[in-house]
Amino acid sequence: MEIPYEVTPRRDTGLFNAKLGIWLFLASEVMLFGGLFSAYVFLRVGVQEGVDTPWPWGINVHKDFVYLGFLNTLVLILSSVWVVFAWVALKERNWRKFQLYMYGVVACAMIFMVVKGIEYNSKLNHHHGIKLTDNSVMEGTIVHGTDKIDFTGTKFTFNLQGGLPGFIKDITKDDVGFSLEGEESVEFANAAEVKAWFLKSRSKVANELALERKRYRSELAVDRDSAKPVSVNTKATVIAKGPIQMKANPRKVVAHSATSLSYKDGTSVEGKLVRDAVEFVVHEVDMQLVLPQNQRTSIVWDVIGDEGAKKQFFDAQKLRYDELAEYYEKRGKTIPLSTMRGYILNLHPVHIGGHGDDHGDGDHKEHGKEKKDGDHHAGVSTHLSEAIPTADTESAGSEEGHEHGGHDEHTISVPRDKIKFMGNHGPRYGNYYAIYFTMTALHGLHVVGGALVLLFMVVFGKKLYLKNPEHLANRVEVGGLFWHFVDLVWIFLFPLMYLL
Amino acid sequence: MAGSTTSTDFTKEKSAYKVVMWSLFVCTFITLGLGKLDFLDFGPPGADWVDILVGISLAGVKASLVSLIFMHLNHEKGLIYKMLLFTLAFFISLMGLTLFAGSDPIVEQYETLQTTKGNLTETPVTND
Amino acid sequence: MSDATTADGHDHAHDEHEHHDAPFWRKYIFSTDHKVIGIQYGFTSLLFLALGFFLMMVMRWSIAYPDRAVPMLADWPWFQAWLDDEGKVTGDLYNMFGAMHGTIMVFLGIVPLAFGAFGNYVTPLQIGAPDMAFPRLNMASYWFFLIGGVLMFVSFFLPSGAAKAGWTNYSPLATTTDLHYSDLFWTGQTQWILGMVFLISSSLLGAVNFICTIINLRCKGMTWMRLPFFVWAMLVTGFLLLLAFPPLEVAAIMQLMDRLGGTSFFVPTGLNVGGMAFDAAGGGSPLLYQHLFWFLAHPEVYVLILPAIAIVSEIIPCNTRKPLWGYKTMVYAVMVLGFLAFIVWAHHMYITGMGTAISTFFQITTVLISVPSVILITSLLISMWGGSIRFNVPMLFATAFIPMFGIGGLTGLPLAFSLPDLHLHDTYYVIAHFHYVVAPGTIFGLFAGIYHWYPKMTNRMMSTKLGHLHFWPSLICMNGIFLPMFFQGMAGFHRRAFDGGMAYEQISSQLFAEAGTITAKMFELLHVIEPGAAVKLIDLNIVTSGFAWMLAIAQVPFIINLFGSVFWGKKAEGINPWGATTLEWSTPTPPPHGNFESEPVAYRGPYEYSVPGADSDFTAQFDGEAPVTDAEVEDEVSESHA
Repeated sequence: MEIPYEVTPRRDTGLFNAKLGIWLFLASEVMLFGGLFSAYVFLRVGVQEGVDTPWPWGINVHKDFVYLGFLNTLVLILSSVWVVFAWVALKERNWRKFQLYMYGVVACAMIFMVVKGIEYNSKLNHHHGIKLTDNSVMEGTIVHGTDKIDFTGTKFTFNLQGGLPGFIKDITKDDVGFSLEGEESVEFANAAEVKAWFLKSRSKVANELALERKRYRSELAVDRDSAKPVSVNTKATVIAKGPIQMKANPRKVVAHSATSLSYKDGTSVEGKLVRDAVEFVVHEVDMQLVLPQNQRTSIVWDVIGDEGAKKQFFDAQKLRYDELAEYYEKRGKTIPLSTMRGYILNLHPVHIGGHGDDHGDGDHKEHGKEKKDGDHHAGVSTHLSEAIPTADTESAGSEEGHEHGGHDEHTISVPRDKIKFMGNHGPRYGNYYAIYFTMTALHGLHVVGGALVLLFMVVFGKKLYLKNPEHLANRVEVGGLFWHFVDLVWIFLFPLMYLL
Repeated sequence: MAGSTTSTDFTKEKSAYKVVMWSLFVCTFITLGLGKLDFLDFGPPGADWVDILVGISLAGVKASLVSLIFMHLNHEKGLIYKMLLFTLAFFISLMGLTLFAGSDPIVEQYETLQTTKGNLTETPVTND
Repeated sequence: MSDATTADGHDHAHDEHEHHDAPFWRKYIFSTDHKVIGIQYGFTSLLFLALGFFLMMVMRWSIAYPDRAVPMLADWPWFQAWLDDEGKVTGDLYNMFGAMHGTIMVFLGIVPLAFGAFGNYVTPLQIGAPDMAFPRLNMASYWFFLIGGVLMFVSFFLPSGAAKAGWTNYSPLATTTDLHYSDLFWTGQTQWILGMVFLISSSLLGAVNFICTIINLRCKGMTWMRLPFFVWAMLVTGFLLLLAFPPLEVAAIMQLMDRLGGTSFFVPTGLNVGGMAFDAAGGGSPLLYQHLFWFLAHPEVYVLILPAIAIVSEIIPCNTRKPLWGYKTMVYAVMVLGFLAFIVWAHHMYITGMGTAISTFFQITTVLISVPSVILITSLLISMWGGSIRFNVPMLFATAFIPMFGIGGLTGLPLAFSLPDLHLHDTYYVIAHFHYVVAPGTIFGLFAGIYHWYPKMTNRMMSTKLGHLHFWPSLICMNGIFLPMFFQGMAGFHRRAFDGGMAYEQISSQLFAEAGTITAKMFELLHVIEPGAAVKLIDLNIVTSGFAWMLAIAQVPFIINLFGSVFWGKKAEGINPWGATTLEWSTPTPPPHGNFESEPVAYRGPYEYSVPGADSDFTAQFDGEAPVTDAEVEDEVSESHA
């Protein structure tokens, strides 16, 4: 059996099957990315100023990711051109040229993904932010591991129903061993054994509960009043033989105090809180979510504890304000309120150690929204290396901080009760990042998928080329259509995600 | 070897593709300049709706170049145009209606009335 | 395949070879034959329909007798964990079953049965194609569907149970449910989203395939206006799926990110969950989810209903021995319907506080869409006028479909206007309305289809006696279930109350019938109320539930009939036992791989019954007295370009 119109177009529609198919598929892709673009517009337009996280937000505003995006745009355009040339080469029956162009396209796709990877890595692992309780935000780097709650547990109580108790994943050192409360003979060498015991006991408890319920129901049938209610012990407590080191994920924890830790799933741990502060290297302060009149009294200045940094921030702000005021004055207008909340006025690098004076000279006359913060970093770190000795607070866990910020950066301790929200610049950090990661990742999947299909065509295409070159040309045309669409999506993503 | 003899002349197309490629590169540079160069920053300093409009229009130009020339939409079959037209209509309805669902011209009249009466919570930055 | 080029000859030989010697798994499991895939879809979806029905029966127990233990189920291993100590249905279980009943019925039951099974089996046959345009893609879409279904089914057995946030899965409820589990991936709510991603991908692939097949694989002479109406409906359904599903896929991806990645697409700033500030950046919009969801889910309603209308409009002309009245009008109506279906979605969202202007727009489009629907139904009704009707089993179901769908459609009108909708939103009225459309509507249409095409699939007829035993009780039970819901809904019964409204004394104890009236006497007789008491609205719960369980019993003859007739059914008389006109009745029974023995040609329109002066009372599309003339070919070309 042969399906008609696989190679030759049907006379009345003028299309061969695959071409019609790919256009239909692309129509649904238009709706897919259209839905995401709609979400982008809907969420961005719907941002309540001063309440929701603004767009754009955080490090993306002035980091040089835009050059990576730019590079990727060029790469994709080039690949798009090559895919057309590959098709032309096939039409001209030039296999060598076809091969060359196709491998070029696949190489472009690889470069694209590598650049993407660099960008993701930088956002996910090297940039963090902390929002304090008054909505002021510090941008910088969290010293590795200090965002977790440092705790030593001795007694763990958990449910024998439902999912795995939360504490098991958080234990970092478990060589002391545990025993079961009430039955000290039951011993566990490590957390993995506790986990195994939990899984076993969970099904045991489920069986017991089923039996109890059956008994209760049969007693109910006889006499409603005298039936003994169901009682099954669904809790268990494990005692550690010594303090167990844990790093608890604050997102899984409901509450913690100096001696206890309770998880969202009902697990509670008794022990001792070791450290309750997040070590942080500040690079910028962001005041977009703080009312202008409250900015000077914000708690962020207490947390940073450096007058110089504060002065630096407001100096930079004034500089920006004057620049804007001048612009609007020329046109006989006042600065719109929305600008007051914008990042132009409210996001500035700060450097602990009081080097406010050197800030802002470089971009004094610059009207572009990007600041050359690279310059500041360089300038300040030389200053710091001369002036500041290694800080006391920089404790054992801060290697990561050194790596990113250089040896001279000043780490501050942020008390956990002053933190409203923190995280890396991953999708969680705000909807701008969320849509950035969702759309670029989905687009990346399309790039990978498309590249694989094109690679398949060039690697295994020779046989078909010899048999029926037109069929292969059709395939390449169809694959190319998809590839152009992928390029097309990126053309819109680039300005929306990197520039505006 | 059916069809292998019909090698067509593509010189004209190839030069068109090259022109398109260079125009795409130029557009991309301008887009980058929107964010990075002073004289390409339209409207007040910083990114604002004017820059967004210019950026999106540039992207629109690039997108139409790719779709018309590379995807051969400048000479495609009628069926595909019809299909894409429907898709476009539904995409616009999805985006447009979703956006406007929140707005209410009747109630908004009163809301603007109230805001113009004053009652601003924000005070400008004092520059000391 | 009659072309005798060497290549073709070779393929043909290979074909024959494959037909006889292909191993079982290649022929029936990983098959690329559209008919086998259609049957696979059919069986899987019937299983899921049964599962969804079972969930509903448990829910109906909880509604009717919230203070009594569920009979029989309490000792089943899975239920031991989810029923409470006394064996009663818990709120959690009810929510889970409610959410999964909707999901399973819509996405795993009816759509695959209507579009996947009937569409797959019948469409290529009716247009004279050897198979779908992309047979392997067709197989892939079935397996995606199956993976999605299995994920949904498996989620019942996770510690968290299956999804509990309603079939609409509204955020932020769906985002925040079961977040305390340390393994978020293996929670029912997350698996629901993943399952949906698979189901959506399956539907998208299927839709591409259908549209492509219908546009490009029509046989010689099969011009647009000679397409059977079934094929037209499938084409429109394909477009609905193709363009409406991606936004839901977007919503699913975004919700997945919200749950697993901690994003706040649908999480507003300042959200509190369980008295605690929800740990997310905020700034999202729950309304965005609703828009994206209903952008699919309203067209989905037409995906549910169009195949049923299509099946019925095949069966009615065949059994009235009259042409389909207003074929062209119906075709244009179905296209208008498909177009309008995309711009009515926000009528599900009147109570979200949308602006009056946009609400007016949606009210207008919603009322407009009833015009093509009424055209379709009216045309079907008029088609029966003056016909010599054969009331065989498929025709019974098809006939019942019309008033049932009519009730469902007409009761939807109040919901189209924002004012009455504010009152009726989320009540049993809504439940009754859309179930009238889908249950006695679509499902009756699908039953009709099964009875109608069964002889083509198996070469045997289904038993008429068992068919009657299936039809009449089903008709009565369906109405017994959904009619009382209108009264309850208008009084304000909320659809998500797991105790059936016990907690809302004021509403639930309103009077339905005075003591001593005939209605009250009947209720006494059925032991629903105490002797001499008045009938309260809440008492209707018991009636409804009773009919629901009886409906289950009424399906037993169908199941026996479906499987039994393969072995004991009467042999079909020839390849065209109903005397139908469309191309699928020209193939051998059951159709072989590749469908047609010789290249099929359509010589005329699809519904030429009782043509004056003809030899018999039907003139089939494939009866080729007159060859296709050049003029007709030109006609075909110009029409397809128009």
